[in-house]
Amino acid sequence: MDFKHPFISNPKLVIYYILIWIAIITGAVLIKWLAYGFEPGIAVAEALALPFMFAIIGSSIWYVIKFSTLENNSAVRVVLSHLIAATIIVFIWLYFGIVIIKLLHPYAGQWIENNLAGNIFSGYMLYLTYVIFFYAVNYYQGFKEKVRNEGKLKSLVKEAELHALKSQINPHFLFNSLNSISSLTMTNPDKAQEMVINLSALMRYSLKHDQIDKVTFSEELKNNTLYLQIEKVRFGNKLNAVFDIDEKCLNAMIPNMILQPLYENAIKYGVYEATEPIDITTRSKCNDNVLEITITNNYDPNSISKKGEGIGLRNIRDRLQIIYGNPMLMKVEDNKKEFTVTLAIPQK
Amino acid sequence: MSEKIRTIIVEDEELARNLLKSFLKEAENVEIVAECENGFEGVKMINELKPDLVFLDIQMPKITGFELLELLDHKPHIIFATAYDQYALKAFEYNAADYLLKPYSKDRLMEAIDKVAERIQTEGTHSDVAEKVSDYPREEFLDRIVVKDRHKIHIIPVDQVRYIESMDDYVMIYTPDSRYMKQKTMKYLEKALDHRNFVRIHRSYIVKVEEINEIQQYEKESYIVILHDKTKLKVSKTGYKNLKDILNF
Repeated sequence: MDFKHPFISNPKLVIYYILIWIAIITGAVLIKWLAYGFEPGIAVAEALALPFMFAIIGSSIWYVIKFSTLENNSAVRVVLSHLIAATIIVFIWLYFGIVIIKLLHPYAGQWIENNLAGNIFSGYMLYLTYVIFFYAVNYYQGFKEKVRNEGKLKSLVKEAELHALKSQINPHFLFNSLNSISSLTMTNPDKAQEMVINLSALMRYSLKHDQIDKVTFSEELKNNTLYLQIEKVRFGNKLNAVFDIDEKCLNAMIPNMILQPLYENAIKYGVYEATEPIDITTRSKCNDNVLEITITNNYDPNSISKKGEGIGLRNIRDRLQIIYGNPMLMKVEDNKKEFTVTLAIPQK
Repeated sequence: MSEKIRTIIVEDEELARNLLKSFLKEAENVEIVAECENGFEGVKMINELKPDLVFLDIQMPKITGFELLELLDHKPHIIFATAYDQYALKAFEYNAADYLLKPYSKDRLMEAIDKVAERIQTEGTHSDVAEKVSDYPREEFLDRIVVKDRHKIHIIPVDQVRYIESMDDYVMIYTPDSRYMKQKTMKYLEKALDHRNFVRIHRSYIVKVEEINEIQQYEKESYIVILHDKTKLKVSKTGYKNLKDILNF
């Protein structure tokens, strides 16, 4: 729990508090002076002794309400602790008040006789007003804090979800590529070097996407071309990547690394299972509102692949849902010869 | 050792084959007798050439390395070579001589070959690979069954299996269009097939639950199931209990 006094955490509140008390004290002095014909000195002395003193002492009531919050204590306990606190505060208040009166007031004894009982009552009333005021402040602070925490939590959850959904480069892709490189170092060192460079560029891109959300379609495409080039080294003629891209679309924005799992799937279910060449075709079209990307691969209908939406596709769907708030942006078609995924990426 | 280790490579990637071959050039006791690009070819060549040693990839087109093992008449020593470390345990359950993780070094490969040479000296060229496997070693269920009849290899998706009947050392697998014989035990299949879909109803039968049309009592305490195509299968006492458990009646 935060015991910090609202006057400290919120200086604006102090200004209002002071202004209100100045208004009350000024009002009281003026009324006594002008309406009841008190001497101004006496009016000021009385104002200093009582309202001004309460303005100072009263602010400490905050700690009382913090120690006897409504949520954590029984009603009896709250009432009892306030009664005790009120009595102590009223006593201290009147004690200092009387000291000031005695110092400044010409008819101190008479004043005390006339006003003591009435002021005890108004002391309790003032205490009650403060309690209500501070409970309200406390409640409002708690409410604001809750809203803030909820917002924070929501963005944390969203971040965590996005993090989990992010496609990571499959480690086996890495191991197989390294094995290819190991082989090429003996037979074709230039090619091995090229592959190391491509692999590094791809890894760098996939790591970068921790930091940024969206990239241009051309950048995403460039890096997936790297991915396909690396896999082409492994699979040779079995993998045939075809691109049919409208150049107008290249500046459209797209969540990064969202295409890679689609190519990975095309390789896993198409190229990997086939003995004949497999085409992986990427097409795009776009207008001001949407970028549509279609990735198609043929596959060997005799190979038995798992049915339904795999984890890779589901993650893309969920990721689009979180980023754009629409789960219908991905379409999957399977006509038993070709597998097609279409993404519709909204543009601002 | 005077005799060379006759070796077949079963590996779908050309670069991986090249690497292995160039490493093996320096192993004087190894002779490569064939290279295969996929599991089908592998089965054929291994059964034909009867090598002492096979280098086997696991993830390959058509059939996996493990499925290949089930189809061998001749059982050579096996060294697995794969990028996947999660199959290591299973590989050793198949009594593999070694398990190489890609990318591997030449020294590591030579170590594996030494192991095989040692095995050949103690056990002979005929390994007991895959024969040891009476129990189904995996945690996950099969989604296809591979069967070889004379020269052809069939891949049967598990969802096409209607029921399985035991026949001595073999099982007969019935699909809507055909039936296939496979050398496996009922115990193995009972474990390997998804328990939610397949139920052992008798010493001789495993049946897919959704194929069952009716369960009929035909004597006191004795039942039969009738499938959608009117096939009748006997149910044992334990089988009836299994049916009860899975169907909740």
